[in-house]
Amino acid sequence: MTLLHFELLGAALFCLGLYGALARRSAVLVLMSIELMLNGVNVIVVAFAAYSVRDNVTGLVIAIFVITIAAAEVALAMAIVLRLFRSRGSVNVDEIDALRG
Amino acid sequence: MEWAWLIPVFGFAAFGVIALAGNGLPWRGRYLSILAIAAGFALFWFVLLDFIERGAGFHRFGVDWFETGGVKVAWGIIIDPLTVTMLGLVTFVALAVQVYSLGYMKGDKRIGWYYAAHSLFAAAMLTLVLADNLLLLYFAWELVGLCSYLLIGFWHERRSAAEAAKKAFITTRIGDVGLLIGIILLVVHTGTFDITEILARATNPAAGEEMSNALITGTALLLFLGAMGKSAQFPLHVWLPDAMEGPSPVSALIHAATMVAAGVFLVARMLPLFEASGDALAVVAAVGLITGLAGAALALTSTDLKRILAYSTMSHLGFMMLALGAGGFTAAIFHLVTHGLAKAMLFLGAGSVMHALDDETDIRKMGGLRRLMPMTALTFTIGAASLAGLPLLSAFWSKDEIILAVHDGLHPVYLVLLLVAVVLSALYMARAVRLAFYGPLNDAVRRAHESPKVMTLPMLLLASLTLVVGFLVLPLGGGYEGIGAFLLQPGEKAHPFTLNVWLTAASVILAVGAFAGGWRLYDKRADVVTSARERFASLHRALERGYYLDAGYQWVIDKVVMRAGSVVALFDRRVVNDRGVNGPGEGTVFAGRQLRRHVTGLFADYGVAMALGVLAIGIFLWVRVA
Repeated sequence: MTLLHFELLGAALFCLGLYGALARRSAVLVLMSIELMLNGVNVIVVAFAAYSVRDNVTGLVIAIFVITIAAAEVALAMAIVLRLFRSRGSVNVDEIDALRG
Repeated sequence: MEWAWLIPVFGFAAFGVIALAGNGLPWRGRYLSILAIAAGFALFWFVLLDFIERGAGFHRFGVDWFETGGVKVAWGIIIDPLTVTMLGLVTFVALAVQVYSLGYMKGDKRIGWYYAAHSLFAAAMLTLVLADNLLLLYFAWELVGLCSYLLIGFWHERRSAAEAAKKAFITTRIGDVGLLIGIILLVVHTGTFDITEILARATNPAAGEEMSNALITGTALLLFLGAMGKSAQFPLHVWLPDAMEGPSPVSALIHAATMVAAGVFLVARMLPLFEASGDALAVVAAVGLITGLAGAALALTSTDLKRILAYSTMSHLGFMMLALGAGGFTAAIFHLVTHGLAKAMLFLGAGSVMHALDDETDIRKMGGLRRLMPMTALTFTIGAASLAGLPLLSAFWSKDEIILAVHDGLHPVYLVLLLVAVVLSALYMARAVRLAFYGPLNDAVRRAHESPKVMTLPMLLLASLTLVVGFLVLPLGGGYEGIGAFLLQPGEKAHPFTLNVWLTAASVILAVGAFAGGWRLYDKRADVVTSARERFASLHRALERGYYLDAGYQWVIDKVVMRAGSVVALFDRRVVNDRGVNGPGEGTVFAGRQLRRHVTGLFADYGVAMALGVLAIGIFLWVRVA
């Protein structure tokens, strides 16, 4: 198990998440995909912290920050999704184009 | 004398008050206007007495106004014989006309505005004659033009009056452009607006400050163009007969004291500039002579009483210009005064006739009015006889001075043609008086009546002045050496009263002969007139149409000005408006239409764009590091 394996795992998670976020129609699944991307990044920064010779803390701090903010973000996003469902009866992101020019 | 500037200020103040609060004032402000001009007239006497006491010379008063780029402009006045003479003429005639208007304009619903414009008109003219710099003079000049527009078009409900007002404004404007260019040229080359300094530079320059001959001639001619427009010199005279559309008292004011006097005054004020260039002076003399002859001929064929008087004014203005062209400063200004008094009176008389005849002005429909309107007939006859040059009346003396000046200063051809014009003057005046006031009573005018006293009194006053004012030319004693010793340019030597017996005899014989001959002709031998009219039918038609000048100008306007205008308008619509103004707007709208397509509002599209952007940045950094 080298650092490269962790990096590949993180990148794979991030790309899966990106695909899901762009390709999925359901807003809930899009949110889950975004969580996946965040966690891909978390894997990499934690691995950096573990393998670093000088600094074992910074990566962990970043990871904790990301997890906290992600939690807050999900709470907010789920509230929006719920409101969307109430008003439109659907959470299909392809139908939500109120900002179209 | 320092307080002479108050004379126009009274008028301006009266205008302001009446224009702002006219209908709220007692008598709608008409007595306020008369009070203002009367105060001006009273002040004129103080100025005159003070002026004589201080030894008639050249005085200046003023305060600095502003200075910009080395050019100083002052609010200043000149008090010299020319100004004092003009002050007296303008205030007196304006006063007489305003009093007369009390009767003539009685019951007009806009009488307040009428008096306001009258006040402004007189005030502007008074400013013009007082001004010591060209800027102030130009302001006053334009104000005079504006007031003539307002008053000629006073009855603007009548289409012809509105047209006449526009014509007067635009025709004089052509001259004003020349005046403005001339003033700008003078200021650019001398660096000052000050009339005295400019004249000194033109005539008696310090070393290294000489003006070139071409510049002097050019600016003099440009100034004269302005004077031609205002003073109705041929061929810019076409507005003058049409200006008869205004109320008669307005005509009296325009023809005697304000509008047309401005041009003669300007040339007189700037005469040293003209004298510094012989060519300009020759042009002035030639234009004056042509105008004098052309106007007299037109007056002879016109059948409209007011138009006859208008053409007569044009002819006499020509005489004044001719005198100025001959260097006869005194003669020209003296004639301006005597003619102004007589002509104001004649127009008031014509107004009195119109008042009695329901605005009838065709002299063929009049006749014998003397029996019904004795006062009007008497004063009208005095004025007409004076302008015809009958001996001992005032215009006789001034005409004599002009003939002398032309004899001394110009080629004999001018003298001969001037005498022809003198004959024509006597003829048309005899014709007008005889046809309108004498002979058997015309049935059409049986209901005529004499005008009220408020109208006949100013006429009588002007008529009595017309009888006596000419004697000012004689040395009357008491230190008074005659007009030739008073009305002088700065630096000019006094010239005592002289009488060239042969010239005077010739002019008297011609004038009296023509007047008596004309009287007899129109009294007894109407058949001769008719046959002459038939023999010279084409000439007669040309005169009736005003030498086809109006038609010619109309042609130029229709075919040249309007065509050129439509080309410019097309360019304006198609290029300036459609491309220049609408172009950027339409371009913006088009760009917006195209650009809005990428704003889909869909989350996935933005996400793809963001991912691709991050990818591109990553590749860029990777390539740079590697």
